[in-house]
Amino acid sequence: MTQENWYDEAHPELTRRRFLSALGATTAATFLGGAPRALADEKRIKQPTATADSCILIWMAGGMAAPETFDPKRYKPYEVGTPVDQIISTFPAIDTAVDNIKICQGLENIAGVMDRATLIRSHFQPDLGSILHSRHQYHWHTGYVPPQTVAAPHIGAWMAKVLGGRNDVMPAFINIGQQLEGHGESEELKAFTTGGFFGSEYGPMNLPFPDLASQAVKPPGGMSPDRFSKRYKALENLLKNSPKSGELSDYHQESMLRSIDNAHRLLGSKEREAFDLTLEKKEIFDEYNTGRFGQGCLLARRLVENGARFVEVTTEYIPFVHWDTHENGHSTVERMKKEIDRPIARLIKDLEERGLLDRTLVVIATEFSRDMMIEGVPGSIAQDQSRAATDVIKEMKHYGLHRHFTGGSSVVMFGGGMKKGFLYGATADERPCLVRENPVSIEDLHATIFTAMGISPKTEYSIEGRPFYATKDGIGKAVRDVFA
Amino acid sequence: MAFRIPSLLLLFALASSLHAAVDFAHEVVPILEKNCVECHGGDKSKGGLSINSRALLLDADVLEIGKPEDSLFIEVLTAEDPEDRMPPPKKKKEALNSAEIAVLEKWIAEGLVWEEGFTFAVDRYEPPLKPRVVKLPAGAPGTNPIDLIVAAHLKSKETKAPQPVDDRTFLRRVTLDLTGLPPAPEALSELPSEGKLDRAAAVDKLLANNQAYAEHWMTFWNDLLRNEYIGTGYIEGGRQQVTTWLYRSLLENKPFDAFIREIIAPGPDSGGFIKGIKWRGVVNASQTTEIQFSQNVSQVFLGINMKCASCHDSFTDRWTLKEAYGLAQIYSEAPLELVRCDKPTGEKAEASWIFPELGNVDPTKPRDERLKQLAELVTHPENGRTQRTIVNRLWNQMMGRGIVHPVDAMNTEPWNEDILDHLANYLVVSKYDLKAVMRLIATSRTYQSRTEVRDEDEGTYVFKGPVRKRMTAEQFIDSIRQVIGVWPAPDQNAFGKGLTGGQLTAVMEAHGLKEWDKRPVRAVFAKRDELQAALGRPNREQVVSARPDIVTTLEAINLANGPELAALLKAGAANLQGKAAPRELIENTYLAALSRKPTDSEVRIAMEILGETPTPEATEDFLWSIFMLPEFIYIN
Repeated sequence: MTQENWYDEAHPELTRRRFLSALGATTAATFLGGAPRALADEKRIKQPTATADSCILIWMAGGMAAPETFDPKRYKPYEVGTPVDQIISTFPAIDTAVDNIKICQGLENIAGVMDRATLIRSHFQPDLGSILHSRHQYHWHTGYVPPQTVAAPHIGAWMAKVLGGRNDVMPAFINIGQQLEGHGESEELKAFTTGGFFGSEYGPMNLPFPDLASQAVKPPGGMSPDRFSKRYKALENLLKNSPKSGELSDYHQESMLRSIDNAHRLLGSKEREAFDLTLEKKEIFDEYNTGRFGQGCLLARRLVENGARFVEVTTEYIPFVHWDTHENGHSTVERMKKEIDRPIARLIKDLEERGLLDRTLVVIATEFSRDMMIEGVPGSIAQDQSRAATDVIKEMKHYGLHRHFTGGSSVVMFGGGMKKGFLYGATADERPCLVRENPVSIEDLHATIFTAMGISPKTEYSIEGRPFYATKDGIGKAVRDVFA
Repeated sequence: MAFRIPSLLLLFALASSLHAAVDFAHEVVPILEKNCVECHGGDKSKGGLSINSRALLLDADVLEIGKPEDSLFIEVLTAEDPEDRMPPPKKKKEALNSAEIAVLEKWIAEGLVWEEGFTFAVDRYEPPLKPRVVKLPAGAPGTNPIDLIVAAHLKSKETKAPQPVDDRTFLRRVTLDLTGLPPAPEALSELPSEGKLDRAAAVDKLLANNQAYAEHWMTFWNDLLRNEYIGTGYIEGGRQQVTTWLYRSLLENKPFDAFIREIIAPGPDSGGFIKGIKWRGVVNASQTTEIQFSQNVSQVFLGINMKCASCHDSFTDRWTLKEAYGLAQIYSEAPLELVRCDKPTGEKAEASWIFPELGNVDPTKPRDERLKQLAELVTHPENGRTQRTIVNRLWNQMMGRGIVHPVDAMNTEPWNEDILDHLANYLVVSKYDLKAVMRLIATSRTYQSRTEVRDEDEGTYVFKGPVRKRMTAEQFIDSIRQVIGVWPAPDQNAFGKGLTGGQLTAVMEAHGLKEWDKRPVRAVFAKRDELQAALGRPNREQVVSARPDIVTTLEAINLANGPELAALLKAGAANLQGKAAPRELIENTYLAALSRKPTDSEVRIAMEILGETPTPEATEDFLWSIFMLPEFIYIN
């Protein structure tokens, strides 16, 4: 595909805010539509000094088992007849670029960049019944346990709302890799993939297929750029000549003009090229390209380079697929590592080479960890969750971590003001692998991320007369030890 | 009602200071007033802590009675880290001195003595419950009572009345408000000369179109009754549609009191609302289906926010945890235990209604009986709250802003009590006929005035005319379809059948159809696709009483290049292709979309877009430009 240069020289008029100036609209109101509003006190909250300008959340959707990835435990090779309660980890540990940090086999590339990472091994989640992934994902992404009486905003929406975009074209919150239609629990995913009560202005731009992302910022299918810009010009002309243009200073109508203007500014901007992966050098594209996820990492890098504030890249949540291993855990995780290892490592190096890593916070996280078969709680016993329920390993599909475990998971953070080559927290060596030191709750982890981005965890907005905080009830406390 | 310090002081003046016990009123209250109340009292609850009452202070889990040394409440007063210290140093308050801390320690050690009824909560406007007869201002006979009241109101405010709109603007506004569509070009070309339209007759004609009325107002009621066709809860039968019942009720303009009774004490096809959404897994105590019942009945029919009170006594209004659970217990088969902020209290709920002055439910009766009693109380003729809540909602839908605003906070003072109370009385007099109320509004000069050119959020509201409304997602799509003359075929995938759908079946049954006929398939019956979502149709996991009134950037991107709208325009251009000469196409489109003729300069620009012999692409671009005009999307 050739690069289209239609936006700049040919149509310089498309690159600036034209509607509003052309029509003499004057107010510079923020378009909140009434609720929600910042509490009067918000101004008095001292926002921390940001150590990062952008955040990339790499989401291991479905429950990535820590003992199989970033928190290796006693390795037990596959052997028919092994009692399952003897198995904690099905991958041996490997060395990393940091002496005291070992991770699991299959993550060799990431091991090579762990000297740029802070590894938190003591993240934990409350047990919401251990059943529905989407509820835990809702909790992780909004900081609030669902259901909520008001629509809770995604953490990306908080960043879009409080910080806004980094430039005046790039959407502040972009969500890569998750299809929101066509599988079980898709409606539940939509419930938190949203701006919540902040409204859709702060919601995500969804790009489920990275290789098709460029379509989101291009003229509709079959329309030439020239026709697209003419159409916009025609609208502008009709507006200017409308006998009703005198009413356009109404804030409702202004919001529409401004938004159409914003949309066309993005679609006519240089930054829109960031969405087009075909413009990347082939060897770099190939290195990222382990599939949709790998392409998503590349897209995230391109977007951040061009001013995105918050980007989420997911391995995609589909019930019983990818990290959601209820059987065949070992072989599935082996495959998943192949998908994530190279692109994540490349992303870190690319950001570093471009001098962006210091101001870009990259976070790898998941809704909970996994365990073999044990710790049944009433109404939620291990056998109910595994499709390969057994007491001893009889075949390969039994080998792997198949039940949900909320007592201890790993989070990896790169750049954005975090320490380098730093290990924080630990889980027990033997089952149950509960957090043993320095527990980090969702509230505290979010507080850490928000603080790095320059948002106080106590930042609050009032909705329906209720104060609503960036971290639940404003209680999140940043983990100071992980900041460089 | 709670009382405040003066009476408290009186009580305590008599108490002997011989007791060594800490004196709440004289010793504790001043310390709290000086240091804590600004952020943790009245309607403020920073960090989720309100000290308005003893119960709220205990809820917050910041102290242990009898053990000040283990209490966070004391610890933060001396914390070294300024981040943790209370009051926060940035508040420029001095840290508490040791004598003050000693008083608070003693207070906790002695059991947190509190004078019953004392609160730091601020007194708020308390709306009347019962209906109130409104004495109408004098005026010419036959004048719409709304106009009489508004004229008197404007006079008292020394404000001029907004100018009336012309017939075309009126017809477009009222047709969109009552049927969800712009007026058909025929209706516009039949208009008599300006000023001669019989506006009341036009309103009657629109309201008599039962189908169009039902299919437009279905959107409003789906949002309010949380009636969505797919979504959370349907996976295990934890949710139920009311589509068939709702559509039929709107079609036959069911009297609103009967409507409420069938929702609250339901038959086989109207139970979906009170059933709520049963979430899988462990659910916060304030989101069980029983508590949803309490919250949703309160919000939808009474304009009461019971969400706060279903977790703890509300900081912002007078409702308490006990009252929230009392309503929930009406619905619950099993006895409920009050849970305060997710901690069980040991106290059992008793089925009860929140305005006992109208009567109460009998907690000893079985559930179905209790629900019937509740339905009678909600629709009690003396229950002005229900009446005011619905007429205010209708006013909001038609006038763009409630008389009480926001519409779910009926404890807010109305900008004019007389309009609200008159409409409420009118609802009762007309036997709960919602269309009659809409007719009264639509035939008023007040409704027929020019919309206000409005800046966002101007603080105190002053009536200056109706507020511009944005088309809903459904209105926008339907209006485009009407203009381009292309309606979708009944499609099982998009319109649902079988387990989770059946919206079209609902329509066919109501009209006694064996199969779908030529009638348009309105967007309200379709599943929420990306375009509708972008245009603000909610997922209906929460009750929604107002759609967004502005257009956002992500929405505009979707309108600029989204596949759904592009497909719609393509179909439209194909349908219009070759049917009319360019000039005629321009005039027809302006009439159908904007209800007016284009000006000469508009014709000239549109001709430039279309060319002598318009290609389908040119027609698409012309249509797009028209649909992107604020004049199209905003109801003027």
